[in-house]
Amino acid sequence: MSNHAQRRNYSRREFFIRSGLAGAGALSLPALIAACGGGSDGGGGGGGGAKTLYFENWPAYIDGATEADFEAATGIAMTYKEGYNDNNEYFAKVQTRLSSDKAIEADMLAPTFWMASRYINLGWAQKLDKSKIPNAKNLRSDLRDPGFDPGNLYSMPWQTGTAGVAYNIDATGRELTSVADLFDPAFKGKIGMLTEMRDTIGLILLSEGVDPSSITTFDDAAVAFEKLEKAKADGQIRQFTGNDYMDDLDTGNFAACVAWSGDVVQLSRDNPSVRYIIPEEGATSWYDTMIWMKGSEQSDSVAEWINYVYDPAHAAKIAAEVGYISPVEGVRDELVKMGGDAAMMAESTILFPTEDEKKRLRTFASLSEEEEAKFDEAFAKITGA
Amino acid sequence: MNLVVDRRTRLAKFFDRADIVGLGTMLLLALGIVAVGAGWVDGDAARVVIIALVVVLVGIIAMAVMGNGEVRRKLAPYGLLKPGILWLALFFLAPVWSLFVMSLSAKESRFDFWPDFSWHWDNYRTALTEFRPQFVRSFSYAGIATLLTLIIGFPLAYVIAFRGGRYKTILLGLVVVPFFTSYLIRTLAWQNLLADSGPIVSIIDDLRLTGLFESLNIMDNGKLMNTPAAVIGGLTYNFLPFMVLPIYVSMEKIDVRLLDAAHDLYSTGRRAFRKVVLPLTFPGIFAGTLLTFIPAAGDFINAALLGSPNTTMIGNSIQDQFIRQNNWPVAGAMSLVLMAIITVAVMIYTKFLGTEDLV
Amino acid sequence: MSRFGRGAVKSRRARFGSLALNAYAGLALFYIFLPIFVVVLFSFNKPNGKYNIRWQRFTLDNWANPFAEKALTEALLVSLRIAVASTLIATVLGALMAISLSKYKFRGGTVVDLFLVLPLTSPEVVLGSSLATLFINNDVDFGYPTVIIAHVMFQISFVALTVRARIRGFDWTLEQAAMDLGASPLAAFRKVTLPLIAPGIAAAAMLSFALSIDDFIITYFNAGSLLTFPLQIFGEQQRKIPPQINVLATMILIVSVSLLVVGTLAGNRRRRRLEA
Repeated sequence: MSNHAQRRNYSRREFFIRSGLAGAGALSLPALIAACGGGSDGGGGGGGGAKTLYFENWPAYIDGATEADFEAATGIAMTYKEGYNDNNEYFAKVQTRLSSDKAIEADMLAPTFWMASRYINLGWAQKLDKSKIPNAKNLRSDLRDPGFDPGNLYSMPWQTGTAGVAYNIDATGRELTSVADLFDPAFKGKIGMLTEMRDTIGLILLSEGVDPSSITTFDDAAVAFEKLEKAKADGQIRQFTGNDYMDDLDTGNFAACVAWSGDVVQLSRDNPSVRYIIPEEGATSWYDTMIWMKGSEQSDSVAEWINYVYDPAHAAKIAAEVGYISPVEGVRDELVKMGGDAAMMAESTILFPTEDEKKRLRTFASLSEEEEAKFDEAFAKITGA
Repeated sequence: MNLVVDRRTRLAKFFDRADIVGLGTMLLLALGIVAVGAGWVDGDAARVVIIALVVVLVGIIAMAVMGNGEVRRKLAPYGLLKPGILWLALFFLAPVWSLFVMSLSAKESRFDFWPDFSWHWDNYRTALTEFRPQFVRSFSYAGIATLLTLIIGFPLAYVIAFRGGRYKTILLGLVVVPFFTSYLIRTLAWQNLLADSGPIVSIIDDLRLTGLFESLNIMDNGKLMNTPAAVIGGLTYNFLPFMVLPIYVSMEKIDVRLLDAAHDLYSTGRRAFRKVVLPLTFPGIFAGTLLTFIPAAGDFINAALLGSPNTTMIGNSIQDQFIRQNNWPVAGAMSLVLMAIITVAVMIYTKFLGTEDLV
Repeated sequence: MSRFGRGAVKSRRARFGSLALNAYAGLALFYIFLPIFVVVLFSFNKPNGKYNIRWQRFTLDNWANPFAEKALTEALLVSLRIAVASTLIATVLGALMAISLSKYKFRGGTVVDLFLVLPLTSPEVVLGSSLATLFINNDVDFGYPTVIIAHVMFQISFVALTVRARIRGFDWTLEQAAMDLGASPLAAFRKVTLPLIAPGIAAAAMLSFALSIDDFIITYFNAGSLLTFPLQIFGEQQRKIPPQINVLATMILIVSVSLLVVGTLAGNRRRRRLEA
């Protein structure tokens, strides 16, 4: 993958990029724009002062106190932003800079495992200073040494979760048990699906009896794409959503949808009609990572941050708020220690699936670049946007 | 001595044609800046072009300073236009050219970063075949929305213009003011109003009109949100002032005495309306339809927030291909096709209904 | 009283028709205000959870803490900064063009006219994606400068055409008269012309300011990781809709209404003074 993707076409760049004003020194278009626009931001090594650690994460993915607590404990100033809305969108946003060997503003990103694998393969992630992360020993054993990053040299999981079926019992009028329920004609126009291809297609594959962790080619998964295409054409699917399905589930616009476990934990606190299941056919499990971006000079701060959130007590605070499965060993005990709502979460099967449910969880296979392109393109065609 | 005189007359002749020099310089500068911005020239050539442009600019300023009042007067309009023209040349014309070049480029694989220019006309085929439903939807949704804004906006403008009296300004203000809250927030409010458990659906249910609305294809399976009707409704709402304002302006211009005379002449209000008011408001209707149709055809917010996967418009596709799929060439081809169709449509429309006055 | 009354005796049918027309216009106004009611009403809601989409109970808390949402407030400031800068640039460039077009008759005027209309008749996705392509090709980083450039680009045409329409009937010999009386061209412009055309320019500037604040599509393509107010709302509404969105929107509404009222009053007084 890296070989191909890293190829930069210099003839093209001569034609396009280095062309024109670039040769004219001070009169180059970027310089002109910087001059008349009042200073360009961005630039190398993280926005603002050199000591600020910039972490770009998914929205609603942390508790309210951790950022300030971390700053107080370590003296490191932190910029925590929630601009990571979609793996593909964010990749598209940063690829122009990273592919021309320039740093992006953020020091750390939180890509999902398969996207982390792409960043690492492209050489766009830096090796973490593991000697400064003693708490890395708390990483759950089942998450150690992923295929794309043996020894977790470049990436550490941020949160893990499952993608299953969520429903609003007020709108469905009955309990759901399976992925097949999403295709029940009674819910026509009231079903939501995720724009995250691996979760939506993964679940449909499971309902068709195909194990998404063992597929290698597009043909293996074609059956799921056909089923999805048909459901869309029939008007079964109301909308494909990224992060934005919770309000529809809350109001009942969605009777049921493919959903991420922690979101439903958060939502069901306010609306008890909303429920989440690991369907009888199975569900996908996934995790989001923390990676240190190329061009950032914040090695120590990054290590400090990861070390901080890998302390079980700190990780428990985050888990209690976001409702995802913490990658840190010992969080369950910490939740019990915290008492109250947190202790109740220690009993939640969404956070801590039963052994039986765990057996039904699958992680989407890693795909070759050529096959991944086919999956992405077919999926983009169906989501239609 | 002789030489000096000769040069002076030649110079004087040159100064006489100051208007042509002014126009020529303006065009030259615009062309030069597009050439550099769009990458027609590069490297050393670009440097030469830029130096030449600066020399020309200095020259024309020198000419204005040295010349007499007449020369200055002739050069003045070009001087005043120049900054704006250059801005538009660099940031409107050059980008369209860049987009054209991009639309003929191709990436070797989906994960390649920089597309190569290769006369790849296939992008246009993709745009026109794969995304044909989106094009069709865009133009039909925008067309229906334009018609609806006319049906809602024309009587409203009429009442304000002819019956508003001294409340005219306030009434007009009432039409405009809601549109000072953010476009997105307004559309989110419609999400709220149209939701399955929202007020509008409940009222329709209480009146037992659901069946009727479903047979009219306005509602689908008991829901209003995420239907074509919701998208068209959103477009209609968001572009309504662009219809009301131009119509109002053209009505405002109608001489009251003319109306009185028409009433005397045609006796019935309806005929007076048809023979006098309607023809005189055509410029407003013309401008209003264009100002509504064009942005509506390229919109993607309404379809994104109020629509479903079966109501995506071409704006959604361009946005998705450009920003998420990283497929700039196909997005570029779609953009240019959209622009071309709109331009042709506007030209035909102008030929049949047109007036000189767009604004 | 009625302009139409003279000469024609109104039949009952005509009167009914006229009443129906007024009612129709009233309904249209109601339609225009419907979502605005929702926006304002929900600024007083105390939502149960993250989404302020269902009416729960009345509260003034949101108005007591209008800036509680840090990211939202920051984004509003970003938008204001951009709008101020781009409106200043666009107003100067656009007004110069308008003066040139209405004061002088010169070669190429019609071409310039057409050129000015083009950006207004191009769909925003086209403008946004093409400008983004130019920036990408030239290795320009997205951020404040690119957004300001994009906004100025569509504002120039708007300002130029609006100002030109406003000063169409302006008597340019006034300026000449001032110069005949010994004023320098610059002084004549500043003392005579500018005060007379200033209201038109100010109105155009205000409207283009509003266009800049509210622009989503073109900004979306050219902002990179910079978040303007509309972009922030677009991202945020996926995960939460805090009532502060409604509070800030209502504030913007109140400010625009006040500006409109002040502008109208000032305009009326000015007209009266001129007529006196």
